[in-house]
Amino acid sequence: MSPRKPNEQPVLELKNIHKSFGDRQILKGVSFNVYAGEMLGLIGPSGCGKSTILKIICGLLEPDEGEVIKRSDEIGLVFQGSALLNSLTVRENLAIALQRRKLGKGEENRIISERLKMVGLEGYEDYSPTKLSGGQQKRTSFARAIVNDPKIILYDEPTTGLDPVMSTIIEDYMIELEEKLQAACIVVTHQYSTWTRAADRILLMHAGKIVWEGTPEEGINSEDQYMKQFAHATREGPMLAGAFEG
Amino acid sequence: MTTSAPRDKRLPNPYRMVEDQFAIGVQLLGQVLILWFQTLSYMVRGQIDLKETVRQAYMIGVLSFVVVGITALFTGFAMSLQISRELVQFGADTAIGGVVSLALVREIGPITAGVIVAGRVGSSVAAELTTMMITEQIDALKVMRVDPVKFLVVPRYTAALVMIPTLSVYAMFIGLIAGIVIAQGAANVPPDTFMDSVKQTILDRDFSVHFLKSIINATLIIMFSCAIGLHTRGGAEDVGIATTRTIVWTMISIFILNFVVTSLTYAPR
Repeated sequence: MSPRKPNEQPVLELKNIHKSFGDRQILKGVSFNVYAGEMLGLIGPSGCGKSTILKIICGLLEPDEGEVIKRSDEIGLVFQGSALLNSLTVRENLAIALQRRKLGKGEENRIISERLKMVGLEGYEDYSPTKLSGGQQKRTSFARAIVNDPKIILYDEPTTGLDPVMSTIIEDYMIELEEKLQAACIVVTHQYSTWTRAADRILLMHAGKIVWEGTPEEGINSEDQYMKQFAHATREGPMLAGAFEG
Repeated sequence: MTTSAPRDKRLPNPYRMVEDQFAIGVQLLGQVLILWFQTLSYMVRGQIDLKETVRQAYMIGVLSFVVVGITALFTGFAMSLQISRELVQFGADTAIGGVVSLALVREIGPITAGVIVAGRVGSSVAAELTTMMITEQIDALKVMRVDPVKFLVVPRYTAALVMIPTLSVYAMFIGLIAGIVIAQGAANVPPDTFMDSVKQTILDRDFSVHFLKSIINATLIIMFSCAIGLHTRGGAEDVGIATTRTIVWTMISIFILNFVVTSLTYAPR
């Protein structure tokens, strides 16, 4: 993380976000800020509302209550399942994101080749996503997310389902992109290696609320009952208490 | 050992079921109408991706030619055989061409092409769009500020507006060829006599109605399949449910609107 300037404004601010689906209250007043050049890790058990927060930030969902202040409209989102359009080639998948800039063909191809090179996929422009491995699909998804130089990058479970070596490669790309683009990044993850290696700061969520905040190092050594249980992956603790009873 | 939740053994309330289905139907019709207006607004402004439209025209039209041709041929055979048999009994064998062509131009052509394309294309569009919803591809488009209606629906609808009327005319001609073959083989009516009867019977208005019906079919097939596909969430099972829903709704609406157009244009005054 780059050092923060005095009086620096956050690129992204969430203020008291509430969201319900039917009778189920998913988010119960979530607030946090993310600054340029910072990677925020959003961690917590399944169903605690992490992915809902990402969808609210990028406008796919509206909060029931609260406010999202974005100091940049350019947002890149890396989906858990890559979400590449299978009927298009890798180049066309990236070109869709560039469409609204109305660039010439030459400029468009130059940007696409440059972004693919950044994620180690040069020469794959004309491949169909279905012909790529899981790791290559994920990297294509990265290239698509950064094609417009976003100032906010969101990662939804970027390393889930990948082997440990590919997870490390993806985490390295995330760290590299954060530094190169000086973007405000949020990574939603369960993976221990991802939040400990890639995140500068972590927020632990439980039942729609933030229950702990700190650095990954503080998280690993924390005596907080929630953080301790999550970091050490034990059954003893307040999370999921009673989930296996009855 | 696994235990399942106790199943509700009460019989479903039929009144409640009808009410639920009615609400679902009204909601779907609303979604279809909104989608249609959004699609038309893009088309009127000329915002059509030609490359994707050509690809969709190939998928919708060219790949349907064989199946529509075979269906129209055998429908034409069966219908001509029945008509020939009855008309020969009354000594009206020279009218076979006229009666066969009337049925083909007014009803069988558009209905055959509509039903076959609804089964082949409507189901595949619904399955494709539902899968795109489930795998977050539609969300990815929205995040990139690309309207899924412009990107996915407009090219499909434009292609269908060209290809489904083409398939209807093609089905009509194949049916006519089947009629000529049966009239010659079963009733000894030479092709020239058959075609004379066709020319005397068919009016320009019949072709206009034929065209109108095929345009309506194209609209129903694409709008129902896209509206259902773009509003379905869930998992693999929902892809199957969306496909079935699309076929049921499209078929029902094709037959109802076909009757409405026929009654408005051919009802005795």
